[in-house]
Amino acid sequence: MPNALGNLIRKEAKDMLRDPKILLSMILMPLLMFPIMGAAISLSTSTIKEATRSVAMAIMKIDEGTISNQLISSFKALNISLIEVKPSPVEEAIQNLRQTNITTLIIIPKGFTENITSGLKGELRVYSILRSISLSEVAKASVVNVPISIYERTLVRRAIAQAFPDRDPENVLDPVDVKNFVIFKGKLLNVSPQLLQGIFMSQSFGFPMVIMLLLISAMQIAATSISIEKEEKTLETLLTLPVGRISILAGKLAGSTIVAAAGAAASLIGINFYVASIFSFMPSTSIDLAEVGLQLSPLAYLLLGLTMFVAIISALALAICIAVYSENVREAQSLVSPLSLLVMLPSVILMFADIEALPVFLQVVLYLIPYTHVVLASKAAFMENYAVMLRSISYITMFTILILYVAARIFMTEKVVTARFSWRRKR
Amino acid sequence: MEKAIEVINLHKYFGKIKALNGLSFTVDPGEIYGLIGPNGAGKTTALRILATLIRPTSGSARIFGLDVEREANKVRRIIGYLPEEAGAYRNLSGTEYLKFIANFYFRNKREIKEAVYEAEEISGLGERLRDKIKTYSKGMIRRLLIARTLMIKPKLAILDEPTSGIDIIHAYHIRRIIKNYAKNYKVTILLSSHNMFEVEFLCTRIAFINKGRILVEGSPEEIKTRYEARDLEEAFMEVARSA
Repeated sequence: MPNALGNLIRKEAKDMLRDPKILLSMILMPLLMFPIMGAAISLSTSTIKEATRSVAMAIMKIDEGTISNQLISSFKALNISLIEVKPSPVEEAIQNLRQTNITTLIIIPKGFTENITSGLKGELRVYSILRSISLSEVAKASVVNVPISIYERTLVRRAIAQAFPDRDPENVLDPVDVKNFVIFKGKLLNVSPQLLQGIFMSQSFGFPMVIMLLLISAMQIAATSISIEKEEKTLETLLTLPVGRISILAGKLAGSTIVAAAGAAASLIGINFYVASIFSFMPSTSIDLAEVGLQLSPLAYLLLGLTMFVAIISALALAICIAVYSENVREAQSLVSPLSLLVMLPSVILMFADIEALPVFLQVVLYLIPYTHVVLASKAAFMENYAVMLRSISYITMFTILILYVAARIFMTEKVVTARFSWRRKR
Repeated sequence: MEKAIEVINLHKYFGKIKALNGLSFTVDPGEIYGLIGPNGAGKTTALRILATLIRPTSGSARIFGLDVEREANKVRRIIGYLPEEAGAYRNLSGTEYLKFIANFYFRNKREIKEAVYEAEEISGLGERLRDKIKTYSKGMIRRLLIARTLMIKPKLAILDEPTSGIDIIHAYHIRRIIKNYAKNYKVTILLSSHNMFEVEFLCTRIAFINKGRILVEGSPEEIKTRYEARDLEEAFMEVARSA
């Protein structure tokens, strides 16, 4: 009776979404945790940036040559706060600087100018004073390298100009100009493979992450939905109501899907905030995903949605089959947690590698795991490889039908009431 | 006349454990029939088989002519079952819970509303029905569950230890609910209990059950007379001794 199924789904969703434990762990935590983490990382990054901007340095000029003077001028031209200290023993100078906020001491030893003008290497000694163990202290210590390399390049350019007065020093420095073209999905793109790598990374990490998150939370929710009936002693009543056992199972699957979808949406919103805040300081790429061919076609969207749907149903049914053997929510969560391996293993491996590149044994193991095919389908979706997607959907559907059959068998028999998992070994 | 319950030579094994050993009894429509026995006697197993939760290993059980194994779905439409250890959905309000149950038995909104109103009357929980069930005491939950079982006007109500674990005031209220309901609506009731006072107060007929089979059966008065006992407790001890 559709009315009975609707009644069951409404109850499942209402009861679970009102449960403070589920609300907190599945919805509020991801919704708040990821943005808080992102804000914390963003705050510390901006603190580091601020710290590097206000770095003060000291310079001890023992060499009196022209290049030493030019070096100091180039520092000043870059608006770097620079204090000149009188020549003194290094230990004494450092001791004095430790009382101040200066983080770097640059010493220009005698012979610096002479060495460079005569074609030898000039030596600079840089002392960094670290006052704590933190990324910002290390970042402050590294700031000095920027003006030094800028001045080095000026020196090189000047030398080139003297040696080859009729040439542009930039052409001598970088004599080859590489123009990159990439052929992707049969289309010629005027971008470098490195630039695409960034986008590919976000796709190959992003999708398996979302799939992993969604399936694992679906399993936990389904396990909770059945075990809570046992823990709260409501299952027996439910099973004696005039509604088919298959409807009860379907109600549990649908209710868990609603809660898992709410949880996944909360996670996605949270992760979106997290990514936005930690990457806010990075320059955005100017590549149009549609132009590159990394946007999904409507058919790919449809097939990907179908893949996720059957995968979620199988994950829920699998979790229910196992959670039936528990007596309470905690036990169900422990029984179901090993199942996360089935999701995590393919997701993590396929984030970094193509399945064909793996050893045959590992390929066989991964191909047997149904959730591998969800990741494979998500990758195939971007390549518009519909044959692979259909193969994945068929495999997951067959697995789902099998698991649903097992779950239905359990629900149709008294096992649903009497099944118990014994931790003790049978003698 | 068609029997309300007809149990014939019921056996039930859980692995090597024999829970029922040839249990047979019949109950007429409108009777309040009580199963009495020590822990592990097989009372709950018998009630669970009749409530279609578990299947017998052998033997048969019929409710108003319907086989509990083969016609389980039809049986579920005419029974109301209250397990010994039962709860309700903690995050729903009492009213939401009653509506959830009523939705399975009634098609139109008017009938559902009437059933919920009936349950409100039976439970006597008043305004508290609007609160979440997690705020209820054990006694209040039991009253809610009794109301849920009876509001659907089942042809047979199966009540496993209806007053188990609740205080004297709630137990008093529940016993009166059951008695009045059976009288007013001619509902057949099958109950199990450890409480001899409760059984004597409620039941028209009782059966002493031990090790999965019935030792003696009759009205409370008949049994007391047969064993020359002052009360059912004495009679029960006498039956247990002679068995």
